[in-house]
Amino acid sequence: MKSLTLERVSFWYPATEAPALRDVSLEVVQGEVVALVGAVGAGASTVLLAAGDLAPRLTGGRIVGTVSRRDRSAIVLPTPWTQVSGMAFTVWDEVAFGPANLGWPTHEIARQVDRAMAHLELGPLATRDPATLSGGELQRVIIAATLAMDSGLVLFDEPAAELDAEGASALWRLIRALAKGGKAILLATSALDALPDVADRVVWLEDGAVRAVGTPDLLADVAACDAGLGTSVATVWGASGLPGPYPLTVAHAVRQWR
Amino acid sequence: MIPALRFDGVTFSYGAVAVLRGLSFSIAPGERVALLGKNGAGKSTVVRLITGLERPGEGTVWVGDWNTRDCVPEQLARRVGSVFQHADQQLFARTVREDVSFGPRALGVGEQEVERRTDRALADLDLTAHAGHHPYDLPPALRKLAALAGALALEPGLLVLDEPTIGLDRALRARVSRALLDRSAGNVALLVITHDLTFAAETLERGLVLDRGSLACDESLADLLGDVTRLEPLGLAPPSVAALSVALDLPGRPVRAADAARALARVAQGRPGP
Amino acid sequence: MTGRRLHPFTLLAIAGALPALAWILPAPAGGMWTAAVALLLTLTPGWRPGLVVFRTALLTAAPFWVFLRLLHDVPTTIAIGLRITTMVASFVWLAATLAPDRLVEATVARGWSVTAAYLFAATITAVPTLRDRARRIVEAQRCRGLSPRGSLGNRLRALRALALPLVLSALHDVDERALALETRGMVSGARRTPLAPPPDSAVERAARWALLAACVAALIWRFK
Repeated sequence: MKSLTLERVSFWYPATEAPALRDVSLEVVQGEVVALVGAVGAGASTVLLAAGDLAPRLTGGRIVGTVSRRDRSAIVLPTPWTQVSGMAFTVWDEVAFGPANLGWPTHEIARQVDRAMAHLELGPLATRDPATLSGGELQRVIIAATLAMDSGLVLFDEPAAELDAEGASALWRLIRALAKGGKAILLATSALDALPDVADRVVWLEDGAVRAVGTPDLLADVAACDAGLGTSVATVWGASGLPGPYPLTVAHAVRQWR
Repeated sequence: MIPALRFDGVTFSYGAVAVLRGLSFSIAPGERVALLGKNGAGKSTVVRLITGLERPGEGTVWVGDWNTRDCVPEQLARRVGSVFQHADQQLFARTVREDVSFGPRALGVGEQEVERRTDRALADLDLTAHAGHHPYDLPPALRKLAALAGALALEPGLLVLDEPTIGLDRALRARVSRALLDRSAGNVALLVITHDLTFAAETLERGLVLDRGSLACDESLADLLGDVTRLEPLGLAPPSVAALSVALDLPGRPVRAADAARALARVAQGRPGP
Repeated sequence: MTGRRLHPFTLLAIAGALPALAWILPAPAGGMWTAAVALLLTLTPGWRPGLVVFRTALLTAAPFWVFLRLLHDVPTTIAIGLRITTMVASFVWLAATLAPDRLVEATVARGWSVTAAYLFAATITAVPTLRDRARRIVEAQRCRGLSPRGSLGNRLRALRALALPLVLSALHDVDERALALETRGMVSGARRTPLAPPPDSAVERAARWALLAACVAALIWRFK
């Protein structure tokens, strides 16, 4: 069942001539992880803001086309320090901030918060003051806080930016688990090498328009590699002059090598 | 030759919490070093000690022949160009050019020299086209580059960068890589904190791994990055190119993309056809 | 710690009553007593160790005394200065002891609008956030060679290099904050669930009414 549909959406930020999005159409189905890839400024963050009903409602600007959502959405922004409530003195309270704002009964809040904190392994940090956390820890707290709001559509904007290798792998595993549990996930990331294991579909954005849509195999296309959006393995393969199709991951390369 | 940077038995604690224990290493001029380790291992503290924002509890930090205990950060700026995380928040001037020239001007070099250093830093990062823009009109990724340009413009003997590639796409990361390699060729030493091992593989040559305040590892990235058994206990994973080299058993086990591509091509040529 | 033991509304009542009384009661005695009480409050144990709160209050009030002395004679300076000191010390004390989350919880428990409470709480929390950011900016600029010492020209340049990024990034933040808070479910008009409403006692409620009554009585007495 479709959770999110963008139909021929074009968007202009306030006082800007050039559109940030041009005629973008995409959909995300429940249980699926769709990844947005592209160069900085290609429009991935804007797609997420539009999908989350934040643009143009809060950002201002003009939109053309339709955005339809079946589920409530929640978004993780790339800057966790702006999403921190500033009103919670423990991590537990911070994660509970969203659910409390939604007016849920306390036992439900406790259930969602405990579950979200377990997912992000935040147990040891439960009583810490969010103001004392490192960037990576704060990002995990905000992700937990977003998940605790239990929305059907979850939007992620560079969620692993501040995380170290372990934190990032744990996050990708969590995102797959969320999709398996029925959530619809739309994710903007520059961690291309992780996508073959995380994303069901990839949408390539260029200058605000959709250039291509496909499975993660898209990231091994010659075009993607030329644009700097291929996985590392595919890019190396292409640069070596070996004929296509390029392998997507190390495992693919090994198979192809034999 | 005096090392560009030397840590001599440095111990440091924030209150009762020991963050660094007996840390010792040195970096030669022109050397390109990655400072790796899990979040909380003490990496940012190392940067604060180098820039003089903190003094070691025990031991000494030498920047060239200066003991940081005898210096204040403003003095160390003559030798160390540093960029902290979230440096995009430190920009203040009306234009990018004005902000980048802030550093050399504060050093007191002549106006012509300020212009030269600013122009060079902007050109190295391909920011010349944005030089006249207001920093906050630029997207965050380019603001990060502007902050880096500010450090390059100091033309220091040592560059210390804390996570310079967060939020950058591949093209921008390549720009940073090129700029740093170029400076290193001019004998500038680099110490870069990063968890982007792909960037480290492309740009840097030696890896210092911090684990709970002490040095768990000090060796060439070429050796370190392909070795899963060493990386795993440190919470690190081999970057894709290194993993590919190992999996395909490429000669020389290259960790950089261009080297791997060449090795791949050579091996493919030498193989009997299907 | 006072902050944890007293109900947020009680803290607000005290921080409001002291300046009110300072202005209502005849100077300089009125101002002297209220300023003394307010400064004494800043010495009570809060979250911050030592005399930080007390010093902050004095340092914040000091410039006002200087300006007043430039404009007025000594008696007027003292009269107004004490009143301003009371206001400053009360606010600084409040900022140091009032936990914004408890204020919001208390407001929500009464069924009042969350947004107003949040705005007030946000103003208070803005102070430590800005202070942290100011510190980071100072450090970054020093590491670029900015020396806060030296000639007047130097110091003014230094101030600009410190103040501008602070203001610019703070404004930029405010922009992002409004959006970010909505993402956390803070929609105006929504009913928020209180997580841990601070306990209120009959004694405190009585004390708050008494403070209000004292202010009204002082007002009536003053203008009789």
